[in-house]
Amino acid sequence: MATLAHPDDLRRPNIASADIQLPAVTSYEQVDNEILAILKPTKAWFASLMLAIACLGLGAFGWIYQIHQGLGVAGYNPPVMWGVYIITFVFWVGIGHAGTLISAILYLFRAGFRTTIYRAAEAMTVFAVMTAGLFPIIHIGRPWKFFWLIPYPNWRLIWPNFKSPLVWDVFAITTYLTISTTFLFVGLIPDIAVLRDRETNPIRRKILGFLSFGWRNTEREWRHFARAYLFLAAFSTPLVLSVHSVVSFDFAMGIVPGWHTTIFPPYFVAGAIFSGFAMVWTIIIPMRRWFGLRHYVTLNHLDASAKMVLFTSLVVGLAYMIEFFIAWYGGVKYEQDYFWNRVFGQWWWAAWIMLTCNMILPLSLFSQKLRRNPTWLWILSIFINIGMWFERFVIVVPSLSHDVEPWQWSSYMPTWVDYALLIGSFGWFFMWFLLFVKQLPVMALAEIKEIIPPKMKHTHSHGGH
Amino acid sequence: MTVDTSVSETGSSAGVKRRDFLKVLGVSGAATAAVGCSSGDVEKLIPYLVSPDQTVPGVSNYYATTCRECAAGCGLIVEVRDGRAIKAEGNPEHPVNRGALCARGQSSLQGLYNPDRYRQPMKREGDALVPTTWDDALQLLSAKLGEVKSRGQGRRVAFVNQHEQGSFPAFLDGVLAGFGIAPHLSYDAEAPVAVLQANQAAYGAAWPAVDFSAASLIVSFGADFLDGWGLPVPQQLAFAEARGKVEGAPRFIYVGARRSLTGLNADQWIPAKPGSELAIVNAIAGKGSAAAAAEAAGVGVALIEGLVAEVRKARASALLAGGFGQEAGELATAVAELNKARGNVGKTIKPSEGYLAFEGVAGHAEMRVLAERMNAGEVPMLLVRHANPAYTTAPGVGFAAAMAKVPFKVSFSSVPDETTSRCDLILPDHHGLESWGDAEPVKGRLSLQQPTMDPVFDTRQTADVMLAVAKADPSLASKYGVADYRGYLASRIGGNQNLKNALPTALVSGSAASRTAPARTASRATAKEQSGEYTLLAYLSPTLGDGRGANKPWLQELPDPVTKILWQTVVEMHPETAKQIGVADGELVTVTTAAGSLTAPALVYIGLRPDTLAVALGRGHTAAGRYAEAGENAWQLLAAAEDRAGGAALGATKATLAKADGKKQRIVTTEGSGRQHGRGIAQAIALPALLAGEEGHGHHVFEGQASTEFLPGLRSPTANDAQGEFGVPNSKDKGQYDPEHWSGAAKRRWAMTIDLAKCTGCSACVTACYAENNIPTVGASWQGPVLLPDRTGFGANVTRGREMAWIRLERYWEIDREPKDVVFDPEHPDFDTNFIPMMCQHCGNAPCEPVCPVYATYHAPNGLNVQVYNRCVGTRYCSNNCPYKVRYYNWFGYGDPNRSQYAFPEPLHWQLNPDVTVRQKGIMEKCTFCVQRIKEAEHRAALEQRASVGEDGVRIDGLRPDEFTTACAQACPSRAIVFGDAADENWSVAKWAKDRRAYHVFEELNTYTAVVYLKKVNHPAPTASVTA
Repeated sequence: MATLAHPDDLRRPNIASADIQLPAVTSYEQVDNEILAILKPTKAWFASLMLAIACLGLGAFGWIYQIHQGLGVAGYNPPVMWGVYIITFVFWVGIGHAGTLISAILYLFRAGFRTTIYRAAEAMTVFAVMTAGLFPIIHIGRPWKFFWLIPYPNWRLIWPNFKSPLVWDVFAITTYLTISTTFLFVGLIPDIAVLRDRETNPIRRKILGFLSFGWRNTEREWRHFARAYLFLAAFSTPLVLSVHSVVSFDFAMGIVPGWHTTIFPPYFVAGAIFSGFAMVWTIIIPMRRWFGLRHYVTLNHLDASAKMVLFTSLVVGLAYMIEFFIAWYGGVKYEQDYFWNRVFGQWWWAAWIMLTCNMILPLSLFSQKLRRNPTWLWILSIFINIGMWFERFVIVVPSLSHDVEPWQWSSYMPTWVDYALLIGSFGWFFMWFLLFVKQLPVMALAEIKEIIPPKMKHTHSHGGH
Repeated sequence: MTVDTSVSETGSSAGVKRRDFLKVLGVSGAATAAVGCSSGDVEKLIPYLVSPDQTVPGVSNYYATTCRECAAGCGLIVEVRDGRAIKAEGNPEHPVNRGALCARGQSSLQGLYNPDRYRQPMKREGDALVPTTWDDALQLLSAKLGEVKSRGQGRRVAFVNQHEQGSFPAFLDGVLAGFGIAPHLSYDAEAPVAVLQANQAAYGAAWPAVDFSAASLIVSFGADFLDGWGLPVPQQLAFAEARGKVEGAPRFIYVGARRSLTGLNADQWIPAKPGSELAIVNAIAGKGSAAAAAEAAGVGVALIEGLVAEVRKARASALLAGGFGQEAGELATAVAELNKARGNVGKTIKPSEGYLAFEGVAGHAEMRVLAERMNAGEVPMLLVRHANPAYTTAPGVGFAAAMAKVPFKVSFSSVPDETTSRCDLILPDHHGLESWGDAEPVKGRLSLQQPTMDPVFDTRQTADVMLAVAKADPSLASKYGVADYRGYLASRIGGNQNLKNALPTALVSGSAASRTAPARTASRATAKEQSGEYTLLAYLSPTLGDGRGANKPWLQELPDPVTKILWQTVVEMHPETAKQIGVADGELVTVTTAAGSLTAPALVYIGLRPDTLAVALGRGHTAAGRYAEAGENAWQLLAAAEDRAGGAALGATKATLAKADGKKQRIVTTEGSGRQHGRGIAQAIALPALLAGEEGHGHHVFEGQASTEFLPGLRSPTANDAQGEFGVPNSKDKGQYDPEHWSGAAKRRWAMTIDLAKCTGCSACVTACYAENNIPTVGASWQGPVLLPDRTGFGANVTRGREMAWIRLERYWEIDREPKDVVFDPEHPDFDTNFIPMMCQHCGNAPCEPVCPVYATYHAPNGLNVQVYNRCVGTRYCSNNCPYKVRYYNWFGYGDPNRSQYAFPEPLHWQLNPDVTVRQKGIMEKCTFCVQRIKEAEHRAALEQRASVGEDGVRIDGLRPDEFTTACAQACPSRAIVFGDAADENWSVAKWAKDRRAYHVFEELNTYTAVVYLKKVNHPAPTASVTA
């Protein structure tokens, strides 16, 4: 097979189908060598890890200070009783959606472009959900009583209130974390076996052997593996839709103007996928460059995912417009006042950041040229991340600050503690991710090997491995 | 040895005192056993006033006494638990306040337990005041008085007492006379001296009672009878009673440059220029033309013509003169003449039923003359008690500087202030709630004052100090045979037994010792030539008075009823004025007068003429304690300090206004939006519309809508799914929520009605709630975050909306644009204002309940929306989902003594109600409908064996209708709040809830609230077209 001059210079096949090709990847050895080479720590990696841990340290300090002093150190301004923490919670849950979408739904739909990005996306999902899960605890007034939200048998026979969306959240998040972790882990089994086989350190070898369940690469194992993977994909698929629907119920079940709307579940799910893909770009685009993986994550992959982003952006934009329409059409004064205040009043800047980043800038993806420009996609992904954080800001803060009781209308201004915990959440997330990329293959070795043409057809006409 | 009596208030306070009592008992017992006898101070944790068999731990005693927070002399019932006063309430039998009590009266407890009180006598050594002993202090005082006496300088010694009524002034004069000292000056910076003099001359009574009910028209010429002018509580009781009649209630017109709280309660506002009121009165009296009056007042002539016509047509009117100008006396005289001419005297103005509150009061002129004498070195010794002339006089008087010329200055004040801090010897007086005394608020009725508890600190009642001093002087000792001041009082009312008999109500027939007050000085300050574009109205704060309430956090945290400002001083100006100098709310402006200047944030206020500025007095103390430092001192602006009667002319200073280099401060206010945005929260209806049967807003009943009628138990608006088995509507097992359940728990539906026709917005209910429910104040500058706080200073927490008032007074302007865009129209200056107290509505279908993940808030069978502090984890979802926004969150550990945010520094925490938990950080709280009072009443009924079991086997709690009420309803000086069981026809609340004016706030949200508001009734001008 001819080697192309530049890995980005490709034909543009329809890779939304399973018919995907990686022309620059020719052999299993190449796959193993190139991808496992990533596992070797570098100075830049150490520096990044230190930076992530420093951010996490800042967040940890902020949280300890907040636990000691009380939530008053954050910028809460009643009746804005929810702020940066809930916004960041929803933000990270949203991020967590793309991973499962890519690995499960796109798997079921046989979308070929998922193959090289799904491992990173899945890891991102697990870490994003781990990050998100902290925020409800950070956010509550008595975090040491958090376990009261969990239904556990107790001698007082006091149970949580199953009517409360916050209890649903507990179920949704823990379920999602369990399933996505399992899914990530199951997919890793054959790859861990590869690591085990190459490991020289006996202890690590033992651990890897244990983690790979003693994988021996037999036909039977592969058959079971494929069924298990398919089953988990089918099992995860509804979760992609349900988790963020449940998160949206936190708002939709309230009677706060701007929250009390039935469009929230689909709107939140679309937004979550949108933001998740943006975060995948934020991670994958530098990674393919720094780790020399441009011939794995090709422009075709980015192009296909850009179409996905464009689609979800249109869905989200439609949802925004429908919110305005319903506020007008519904004729409820509280809603009308609230939306006016959101877009043209007190919170115009936040609303326009949201609309610009999530609705207007992604329209650039109608241009094929920009879809195939990794630099633009990365810049756009940052805008979308910001825009989606502000989407949650616009939902949480302006609604609460402009509720039905005018006497209590207020404003909101976060403090350094809010920002410290926001930065800390990125530190926490990237710390895990950085640790992950140096421990386990960030691309699915086995699945990539499946799509490259088997050697035997070209080099050896007889015999195999 | 010393026993530490400090009590830590952690999670629950109910048990703490008993526990500490036992602890201390154990410690002191052990200590006594070990040491035998100890030389140190022994403090008593439970200071017994009555014999111990009357003090049952955990059960309250109630003592009747007299309030000393202002001159009115209201009756108090003080609740005392385990030897500590915990609540001040109105005495229902008292002729002045009839059971109601204003915010200042309730805050007397924070004076008693003020952390900045002097804890023992102090004397000056060099620049510092150092603690001393009573023996030492008394010796020093006796020596100095003896010196004065022996040198014959007595006539030149001055004693300035905070004005009070009763026998003490005469008693004090008697002792002073023994040392050759002239009668004391009874100073009250809040007394409207000019009006008092004019009334005395015209009616023969300085403060006639006003029967608003008998009037068909009330016209106030700057008389702020709801703001603290005169006797706030009885005036408000009478006014609210009259307005509560609805039909036949008097119409009310307010004439004045600034709409005070009184002005906001008026049906019409005529914004006359300061000083032009006299011209208007003359126009009514026919001594001048309406056109000339309108010209002088700067308002449309139609307004004046309308006023003249209305007064002339009125069947019976009550015309009241207040005013802050230099012609206050002339105005009051003219108004009195007009009242006489209109035949109002005896009908609405009742001199025969007058109040004696201000008998013998001295005014600003007396302080000025005293300062002049001190400056001239004529005063060898100055004695002050509670009065604070160094703060409450105009800077031109130079009182503080003059004090330096006095060789020896003695203060009897129990709290530090600007005057006392300059004294050489401080003999701290007992607080009013620790003292014996009396007052004669109305002729022939004595209101006794008795100690409600043992003294908090090592203080002595001034009367007893004077008695001791007199006894120490051999020539006087024979005149004072009584052991103490209590004995003196007893001898005045016919012996100890009579005193004892009178104490349960503290009311007895009789009169206080009469005193010949020193003649008012004839000296009048010459009005200085003044220039300035604006007239400055420095007004007495409705919450802090002349500044004496400034070190009480309850009063600092109580929003001004008009501006809703707390912990801060602002310069009020009309939006037009603000536009003219280019400032918005919060931008700093400098007000400069001939006397001084003050820089404070600007606040636009639509109820003010564009050519006037207003600043509240009372804040910005320099030496009156930790809380009093908030804000700026407006006394320093007063240039034209005196009216022609020698009273403080608070509204006659000319000022210039300038923007202060673009700096900005956050306005400390509880107001979000001051307009209702058409949401029908505080509803009003014009009387003709009401009579015509129009309902205005609300009461839309849709087909299929659940009934909002109050019914017991599950049939209550909670609807069937409250706690049925799995929410099945016709489920058989509804547990305690079933009205047929044997416990009878679901028999009642606790509810409240609030009559907005009566509510004046005075906010006494707010302070009552703070006192009853241990609500922390959060506005002190040290109550914010410790590290890198982004907002500092007094009120920092409030700028983030973190005030904790479970009940708040919302004040809505009925205007069609933002206040900053309001334009002053002299022809049509009027606007409506609606007040509404807002607290937890105890919804039958409460949005807060389903969203709580841990059942920390849930629905009780008796209709209460209950908050379980112990269960709350602090998700704050309940607050988000509450349409009324009446839930409050503990952002910091306000109840934790080890934190800088602690709201009850020792000994303020002695006031905490042991029946109510002190909340910890991280949890939600809200109005409970005083559930502790409900429980107390139920327990009392059970103890008195009133509870029984009905024929159907359901328990009957045995409560008598209207047997008890909530703290807010109890205090309300408008009697606007009624609490009770709306499911039982025998309770008043059930009747009020069916009033034709009744409505629920946000009825369209189907919350089925338990609080029913009764629409305010507006009384439009008779000729004006009907507008709601």
